[in-house]
Amino acid sequence: MKEILGLEAVTKEYGQGDIKVFALKDVSMSVNQGDFLALAGPSGSGKTTMLNLIGGLDRPTHGKVEVDGVDISRLSGGALSRLRLHKIGFVFQAYNLIPVLTAYENAEYVLMLQGASVKERKRKIMSLLKEVGLDGKENRYPRELSGGQQQRVAIARAIAAEPALVLADEPTANVDSKTAKALLDLMERLNTEKGITFIFSTHDPAVMDRARKLVHLKDGKIEEIEEKESKTREPNAD
Amino acid sequence: MLTLRIAWRNLWRNNRRTAITFAALSLNTAVLIASFALMLGMLDDLVRNATDLVVGQVQVHHPKYRSERSIYDTVIKPGDILQAAASAGIAASPRAYGFGLVSHGKNSAGARFCGVFPEKEKKTVELYKHLLAGNYLPDKPGKKLVLGRKLAKTLEVKVGDEIIVVVQAADGSMGNDIYHVAGILKSMGEGIDRTLAMVHYKDMEDLFALNGTFHEIVLNSSGKMPEDKVAAAILPSAKGNEVMTWRQLMPPLNDMLNAMNGMLILFGAIFFLAAGLGVMNTMLMSTFERIREFGLLKAIGATPWRIIKEVSAEALLLGVASTLAGGAIGTFLAWYFQYHPIDLTGFAPDGISAMGVAMNPEWRATLSPETVWMPIVVMWIISLLAVLWPAVRAARLDPVKALVQV
Repeated sequence: MKEILGLEAVTKEYGQGDIKVFALKDVSMSVNQGDFLALAGPSGSGKTTMLNLIGGLDRPTHGKVEVDGVDISRLSGGALSRLRLHKIGFVFQAYNLIPVLTAYENAEYVLMLQGASVKERKRKIMSLLKEVGLDGKENRYPRELSGGQQQRVAIARAIAAEPALVLADEPTANVDSKTAKALLDLMERLNTEKGITFIFSTHDPAVMDRARKLVHLKDGKIEEIEEKESKTREPNAD
Repeated sequence: MLTLRIAWRNLWRNNRRTAITFAALSLNTAVLIASFALMLGMLDDLVRNATDLVVGQVQVHHPKYRSERSIYDTVIKPGDILQAAASAGIAASPRAYGFGLVSHGKNSAGARFCGVFPEKEKKTVELYKHLLAGNYLPDKPGKKLVLGRKLAKTLEVKVGDEIIVVVQAADGSMGNDIYHVAGILKSMGEGIDRTLAMVHYKDMEDLFALNGTFHEIVLNSSGKMPEDKVAAAILPSAKGNEVMTWRQLMPPLNDMLNAMNGMLILFGAIFFLAAGLGVMNTMLMSTFERIREFGLLKAIGATPWRIIKEVSAEALLLGVASTLAGGAIGTFLAWYFQYHPIDLTGFAPDGISAMGVAMNPEWRATLSPETVWMPIVVMWIISLLAVLWPAVRAARLDPVKALVQV
């Protein structure tokens, strides 16, 4: 399998002078294309910091972060924006949809940033919305959708640009267990059928249970990397 | 297109705030257009009265005449100038001036006589329309006088009264005669009101022994060409004379017009500043409320420039929509005041004059394309300038910090 992400002795520290807090300390790991990986650990263990570094939203104090062969820790602001646009998809705990845009327009936005034509956008987004189970709901605004449906829109937006990696920060934290299961089913299906690489940060046992690779973080360090077999999925129950 | 759609929807997230800003910008634009049109109307009226009533657009004198006012400093080759003006389609009226004494009963006063050819004068300036009582001078000489309002009051004369005139003629003799009052002028400014006594040139020629000479030629194209072109048209035939435009002849009025233009700019600047602050306030509040959203946009790959474009599009849309509405209202008001002038006779029953120039007591707006498009376009530019700071602020947000903003 092709390596899609590599972290090499990554350290992230906050504070100045003598007062320094290490959010991540000397972390190294690699992620292959098609991985379905969860970063697990208690609050403050460094999960979100790690996702931010992988996603190019933040820069490491020391070390190297490589996404699809590009050392992103050295990229300029503009190059980082382009990298996020073309190689990384984000799914957030709070969905973070744009409230004035419909489900269709929210998913379409990334393609518009990429400069895709209206025709191409329409073809792609209609098919994606169908794929994430939102067929017929494309003209609804976020406020007219349930939490689970909003997260499906966020997933459609994240994969619309066909990124190398989808980073999901606690994607099931704001939904009930039934919806969480349906969302995990969806992401797992996208992973197995389309080969999209997912990296979650979570402390939800259901997500940890579903992940095929589990990275346990504690106090900013990798405590253990657990490789697992995939499990049988149940039908959607959104 | 999606950018504009997003911008429009974002604007109406907070209906009340946007509506207030929209109303303020519309009102500003409407007031600016209407007041610019009214001010332009006033300036036009002032210039028109200055040029069309007495002074004309251009005057020709002997180079020494204006400083010394000597009866002997007459226009050189007036015939050539009048011919050049006629061939350029410019109306021209030759005038002669002289000083003397006028008396009626026990009252007497000094007067400045002005001899004109009434038919030429009427084609050149509109003083003949500005009568308080009686009639203008007849086309043929007949020893008639038209007096300034205050001179008539000093002499206590009315139309038809007899006036004794005593002058020193150009040949050194004393000229005296009896004239009759044909008309009394409305208020025209101190100089004219207190001293002017208009007569037919032929009568004046006899009285002052002028021998066909003139002290002034007044030229007026009545708006067909600017004063500079009028001056240029007769300049080659006015060699040895002094050719001056009304701006040079009446520096205080010219200064006043410049000052009024300056005031207009200042007035506009205050309105534009207020509008700019309104837009900036709206956009600052709007961006502040959406910090998390901007963080998201940056996270999913929007460049800072893209965010600046989105925020600017909102301000521009707000500016365009409100100025179009305000523009329509302002244009209607300007149009209305152009055809339904504001009547000022109640404030000044005797007429209004400024810098020696009579003003029309009916304040009429002048609706021109500039008075409409200029405030609108400047308002668009102001909207874009006002949004720069909020837009740059939004574009510079750190996505990690912005995404956790509550």
